[in-house]
Formats: sequence, C-alpha cells, structure tokens
Amino acid sequence: MTALLVVVQLAALVVMPVVVVGVINRVKARWAGRRGAPILQLAWDVRRLLAKRSVYSDVSTPIIRIAPLVVLITALGSALIAPLTGAGALVGFDLDFVWFAYVWGLGRVALMLGALDTGSSFEGMGAAREATFAVFVEPALFLVAGALCLDGGTLRFAEALAWHGVDGGAIVVRVACAAAMVVVLQAELARMPVDDPTTHLELTMVHEVMILDHGGRELAALHAGAAIKLYVAIAVIATLINPWAGPWTGPWAGAATPLVAAAIHLGLCVAIAAAIGLFEALPARVRLRVVPTYLLSATVAAAVALLVVLWRTA
Amino acid sequence: MTADHALLASVPILVIGAVLIAIVRGRRAQVALALGTQGAATALVLAAVAPVLAGGAPLDVVWPWPAPIGAIAFRVDALGAFFLAWSLPLTWLGTVYAVGYLQPSLAAGRNGGSHLALLNFTCVAFVLVYSVQNALVFLLGWELAAVSAWLLVIWDYKNQKIRFAGFNYLVSTHVGLFVLVAAFMLLHSRTGSMDFAAFGAYLAGAPPDRATIFVLLGVAFALKAAFFPFHTWLPRAHSAAPAHVSALMSGVIHKAGLFAFLRFTLLGGRPDEWMGWCVLGFGLVSAFFGVLYTTVQRDLKRLLGYSSTENVGIAAAAFGAGMLGWTWGDARLVVLGFAGGLLHVLNHALFKCLSFYAAGSIYRATHTIDLERLGGLARRLPWTAALFLVGGLAMCGLPPFNGFASELVIYAGLIGGGAGPAEADVALIAAAAMLAFVGAVSALATVRAFGLAFLGAPRDASVHVRGEAPATMRGPMIAHAVAVVALGLVPGLALGALLPVVGLFAPELGDARPLAVPGFLDAMAWPSRALAVALALAVVVAWRPRAGSATSPTWGCGYTVGSPRMQYTGTSFSDALARFFGAALPAQRRERLPKGPFPAGDGHVASHHVDAVERKMFEVLGQGEQIIQDTSSRISEQPRFAFAAGAIAIVVIVAVAVGGGP
Repeated sequence: MTALLVVVQLAALVVMPVVVVGVINRVKARWAGRRGAPILQLAWDVRRLLAKRSVYSDVSTPIIRIAPLVVLITALGSALIAPLTGAGALVGFDLDFVWFAYVWGLGRVALMLGALDTGSSFEGMGAAREATFAVFVEPALFLVAGALCLDGGTLRFAEALAWHGVDGGAIVVRVACAAAMVVVLQAELARMPVDDPTTHLELTMVHEVMILDHGGRELAALHAGAAIKLYVAIAVIATLINPWAGPWTGPWAGAATPLVAAAIHLGLCVAIAAAIGLFEALPARVRLRVVPTYLLSATVAAAVALLVVLWRTA
Repeated sequence: MTADHALLASVPILVIGAVLIAIVRGRRAQVALALGTQGAATALVLAAVAPVLAGGAPLDVVWPWPAPIGAIAFRVDALGAFFLAWSLPLTWLGTVYAVGYLQPSLAAGRNGGSHLALLNFTCVAFVLVYSVQNALVFLLGWELAAVSAWLLVIWDYKNQKIRFAGFNYLVSTHVGLFVLVAAFMLLHSRTGSMDFAAFGAYLAGAPPDRATIFVLLGVAFALKAAFFPFHTWLPRAHSAAPAHVSALMSGVIHKAGLFAFLRFTLLGGRPDEWMGWCVLGFGLVSAFFGVLYTTVQRDLKRLLGYSSTENVGIAAAAFGAGMLGWTWGDARLVVLGFAGGLLHVLNHALFKCLSFYAAGSIYRATHTIDLERLGGLARRLPWTAALFLVGGLAMCGLPPFNGFASELVIYAGLIGGGAGPAEADVALIAAAAMLAFVGAVSALATVRAFGLAFLGAPRDASVHVRGEAPATMRGPMIAHAVAVVALGLVPGLALGALLPVVGLFAPELGDARPLAVPGFLDAMAWPSRALAVALALAVVVAWRPRAGSATSPTWGCGYTVGSPRMQYTGTSFSDALARFFGAALPAQRRERLPKGPFPAGDGHVASHHVDAVERKMFEVLGQGEQIIQDTSSRISEQPRFAFAAGAIAIVVIVAVAVGGGP
C-alpha cells in the first residue's frame, strides 16, 4: 500500500465518522420534513463537550471516567483492521478478525461497566439489553468472517472482505454476509429497528440510556467512539457490496487507480449512511422481546453464506 | 541429586510435613511447616520437570514396592511435567491465601492443622497422578485428591448445607471412580497388567472394545473435570468450600480429569474420527450450558463454579479439534488444537483462582457472596475490585488478558480451514461461532457480577463491610493477576513450555508438525501490547477527576425517592437471556400479584433458577418407581410407544452382540 493511501485512510478515519453520522441524521430530518442539523454537527458537539466540565454521580468510581476512553480506544483499534477505504487495512495480520470482534467486545464491556457505575436502574436496564443483544450477534460475526476466510483462502479480515472474483456464488455469499453485517451494525451501534437513538423514553432505550449520566469529555469520547464504530461497520458493509474493493481483485483491476477505488468506496459509505437514514425514518422500533429473534436473522444469513461457500468449494 | 531423586523426594517431604503439621500445636509452626514443606517440594518438582519441559528426555523412575503392586514405574513426560509445573506453585499460593482467609477462625481457637495437612496431601496426589504409570497407584492418587478435596470443602462442617454439599461431592466423585475402575478392570482383563504401557500397547492395536473403554474413561474424567451434564456436584461444592479450596478445586485439582483424558488419548494412539467429533461436541455442549448457568446465579462462587464447566468445555473442544487433526493427519490442527486447549487449561487455572480469591475477599469483608445483597464495594475494597475485574475480563477472553491468547489459538485451529473434508471445515467454523457465543454470554455474566457486587450503591444496609483483605490474601491475588496479564502480553512464555507437550501427540506426523510458537501469536501479541499500553494510559489519565468537575446524585429519571434497593437486580439483568433460553434454564417462580384496581394485601414475586440436571436427577431418584410405572402403563395404551421401545431394544441387543465380542 502506498503512503498516499495510508494518508487517505487516516484522513477518512478522522472525517468519515462525522460525515456518516451527519448524513444519517440529515436524511432522517429531511424525510420527516425538517431541515436537519449541519453534516458536521457531531464535530461541533464533541468540541463543545470537551470544553465542558463533568458532573459525576456520587456513587461512581474512576470507572466512569476510564470506560469512555476505553470505548474510544477500542473503536480506534478496530478501525485499524477494517478496510476503511476498501483497499486493505492500515494493519493486517492473520486472524485479525478475532481481534476485531473481541476489541469490540471489550469496548462493549467498558460501556456497560461505565453505565453500571452510576447505580442507576435505567442504565442497568440498558446495559442488560446491550449485553443480551451482543450474545445474539457475536456468532454471526464469526460465521461471516469464517465463511469469507474459507472462500478467500486468507485469514486477514480486510483481504477476506475484498472480492476474489465475480460469479453467482460470490455474489450470493457477499449479499448474505452484507445482510448479516447490517443486522450486526444495527445491534452493535444501537440503530433502528433494534434501538431508537432518538427516543425520549428511558424505559425503551438501549445505547442512549447507558450514557445518561456521562457528561463533558466522557460524553465526547463516547460519541466519538460510537461514530467511529459506525463508520467502521459501514466500511465493512461497503467493502462487501463493492466489487471494486481491493484494486488487486476487482473485475476491472487496473482500470481504477487505488485513489479512484478509495473514492468510490467512500461514496458508497455515504450512500449506505443515507440508506440507513432512510430506513430509520420508516419503521418503528421492534418490541424488545422480539429483538433477539430479529438478531438471529443475522446468524441465519451468515450460516447461509457459509453453506454457499461449502457448496462452492465442494 | 538427580532429577528423579528430586521428584521422589518431594513425596516424603510432603507426607512428613503433613504428619508434623497435624501433630504440632501453635498456628505459626503449622503455617511455617506447611509453607516450608510445600515450598521445598515445589522447588524439587520444578527442578525435576524443568529439563523435560525444555525438551529433554522424559524422566523414568522405578520404585520397588511390595506385592501385590510390584514395581511402580514413574514417568514424567512433557505432559505430566507441564501439569506439575503449575499445579504445585498454584497450590502453594493457595496455601498462603488460606493462612489469611482462615485467620479469623484460627484466631478464635480453631486448629487449622488438619486443613493445612490436607493441602500437603493434595500436592502428593498431584505428584502421583501426574507421574505414575501404574493404574493402581494412579487410583490411589486419584482417591487421595478426591478425599482431601472433600475434607477441605467441609471446613465449616457445622453448617448442615456445607456437609450436604460435601457428601454430594463425595458421592459424585465416587460414581466417577466406579466408572474409572470399570475401565481399568476391562483393560486389566485384556492385558493382565496394571501398567499404562501395557494398556497403551493394547489400545493402540485398535481392539473392538476401544470404543467402550473410551466412553467409560471419558465419563469418569468428565465427572472429575465437571463437564455438563456431570457437573451437578460442582456449584454446591464450590459455593460451600472456603475460597481457596474452591479456587484450587476448580483451577488446579480437577484439571486432573483433563490430564487423565490427554494421558489416555496419548496411550490410545491415533483416535477414530468419531472420537474427535464426540469430544468437540461434548466440549461445546459443556461450554454452552456452563456459560448459560453463569448468567443467572445469585451466589458469586456458584457462578464461578459454572464458569469452570464452561472453560473445561472450551479446552475439551480444542482437544477434540486436535484429535480430529490427528485422525486426518493434519499437523497444523494437531498443534493448534492441543496447544490451544492446554494453554487454556493453564490460563483458566490462573484467572479462575484469581476470581475465587477475590470472591473470598468479598466474603471475608461482608460475610456474604449473594450478589443481590452487595453493591458499591469498589469504593470500599478497591484492591479486590481491581483484581476481580482483571480475572473477570480474562474469564470472558477479552484482550489484552491471557484468556484471549488461548482462545485465539483455539480459533486459529478451528477457522484455519483445509484440515479435513470441506464439510468438516464448515463444522469447525460453526464450532468457532459457538465459542464466540459463549464468549459473549460470559461477558454478560462478568459485567453482571462485577456491576452488582462492586458498582452502584450498597443494596442491603444489613451487610457491613469490614476492611480490605490482608496482605496474605492480597499477595497471592496480585501474583495471579500479574501472571494473567503477563501471559496475555507474552503468550509465547507459556506456549514455549507447551510445545514439547504438543510434540507427544501424533508422533507419526513427525517433523510435519510446526512445533514453534505460531507466527500469528507474535503478530497478535503486538496489538495486545499496544492495547495494554493504551488502556494503562487511559487509567492514568482518567483516574482522577479533572479540576472543576462536580458530583451529584445519579439521575433518577424522575423517580427521586428511590432507595438503593431499587437498583437494577441481577435477576432482571439476565432475565431476557434466561427467558430466551428458558428450556435450558428452568426458573421457579413463586408469585402473588396484586389484583384489581385497589389491591389489598401485599404481593410478592420470587424467582429462582435451579440446576436443570440436578433437579431431573433427584426427580428420577425420588420418583423412579412412579416414572417407570407411568411409562409402562403408557406403553400398553400407545402401541407406537411399545413398538419404538422394542425397536430400540433390538438395535441395542444386536449392537452389543455384534460389537461387544472379544
């Protein structure tokens, strides 16, 4: 990978999280007939929060201050492995997807501990839901990674996600994997229909209720971490549905220079963000009881992908 | 002194030490004797096994013994050396912890001599079980460990519940012993010898009763290591025993079951394919049910006990993968499966002892380990909180701790692909997804336990918190925590010592086995180290609040008159999951709900999760006659039933007649 591409990836890591959150919110607002916040609103929010002083719950321990930083660190760590601009990742090593999944897990545990540190029953409720939902998406993530690794003959996440040829089987595998990853994204990032980020009823929140008692720079770190994770998840999905991802494997390899391929990929990320915004404006959140069943669809989709891979190799 | 003398000398030192401890009066003398003799024995054993672990030749000793046993052969190969190398030091640390943990009872005049002597005998049992090559002496060591563990569990014998838990354990472990004796008798009848070497020569010839022996041994060892569904004794015993005994039983003593399984796997030579699948499936089932039960426990030590069932399941799944690799002649899978499983056994010993010690520290301070009554302990017991968190994070396999390193090796084996037929690759990936599920559930259980006990506000005003654990308890905990972090950051440390062990498996593959620390582990160690540095920085940066920050009560979302009792409960925390898996986690609910628009009288709800296997077992035992009667009456009512039963009986008889021949 050229140095220029590294710079592009780092720049994308800084800019794109803000953009995807902005695009989702803007599309949702437009759909609802409102003008919507500026695309870069998240950046201003973070800057404003960093300047604010924090108020801590009087039963809290240093965990409430450490946990948001851990969320941010783990989000950045997962971003290093993900194909941020489609063409490989900043860091790649064998079995890095295990690291990817477990680093997300660590971030989730930190988020939940930070929530429980306040002793609030509402935040406990949110943490319980977050932990329960994670249980149902984790197998899907491994099935997706396993299927793609088996299909691509590689053990590196970014390489496995890239296309290794375009044929009917490959399209089915990648569409199924992308469908699974969309559900994983909805659960991990607490988006509709698993969770409604704009709800105002604590009883029904998942992610938002866990950060009720955080403020100041802790809240800034949590927002930043969530936005980075969102971008990482979107970038993974974009790689799955983009045959140009990875200039060395695409059907028109050589036709698109790495930079053009990266530009296509980033455009696709914005498009996916817009699609999420559109989708979120339409249905209501499903009932909490139904969520585990809904999340199991990710495992089913990933299992389908795995079986198609088996059929392709057998 | 040569290495074989050193090994044998450790046994009399420990036995004489135990006798002296039981004789002398005076707490200090007893403690000094226990720590001294165990320390000396540990040093001797380590000196004896170190060359073997470094790749040297196995240690062979023959001890002449009167009839009927005859000469006893001891042989410490890399497998035994590996288990000895950490079992004795961890028991020594446990003894140090015991001195602090039992201090209140000892100060009140209780004579702790027998307890310390039993810990010595546990060490003797390790030396015997991990080195002896004779089935009778093996059984002796096996029994010594079981009976010592039983007596250690009932330290607080005046409590009827604890006596019941102790007897429950004693009965269960002896049921396992019967099965083990049956297997040994079968082997003896075939070979006319009690030597493992003769057993091995017989088994390696793939005799027709190899399957029977495999199943008998498997059941006996599964009972020892508390696999589902043979785990029923474990939660009771672990919750009743003193913390160090729970820790040693779960982390160290019952690893003998896994050791014995590996020993007989080695003796049996190249396994059949079904054996590998069987062990893999059995391990996954154990991990699945074990981890589900961790999510609903109120008693912290019961929770940790079920987590042992989960972790031995993970290790067994890895061993199963390694056995499959052996069958298929895939050197990579052999190495990754067995190395991952063995590393996980060691890692589990480290983090599980740490967690049990932390639970014991809670018990010392509060006299309860009921999670629903605790809360807010992090500010009262900061050391315990931090150490429990390290153990807990390692328990859910999160980086940068040691649990992650071993799970990673296991994942590498399962996901690598290219091992057997394509269907097998897919099945192994599904197994990896199952392990991921187990990891996520384990994270839920850990967050729940830590959050309930250490975070928030105290839930029960009647629980008084005394001070932090004394140095004798904190020292062993810190030592374990350091090991947990060190093996997470430098997994090559333990893996280097493990590779000679792995070299014993699938010898026919020879040099094809990549017996070097796998490259991905090095590659992965760097991100883990970077993460550890980042986390350490985060802790340093965020430890103290920034100047100008304020504190205020937690926002109650409008409910301003809440009491600490209104914090989220553990039952609610796992409710959604428990309902989803209700078939596996039966809940007993007793409730009287208020009725009508103006309810009169109090209502109440109590829900309680029991062990499904144990309940079923007692049900069958208690109503066995009734059940048989019901079934037999149903047979006459429903001819289909009778037909199915008859068909099954015929199949079984034919199978026995065909397969059970000499």
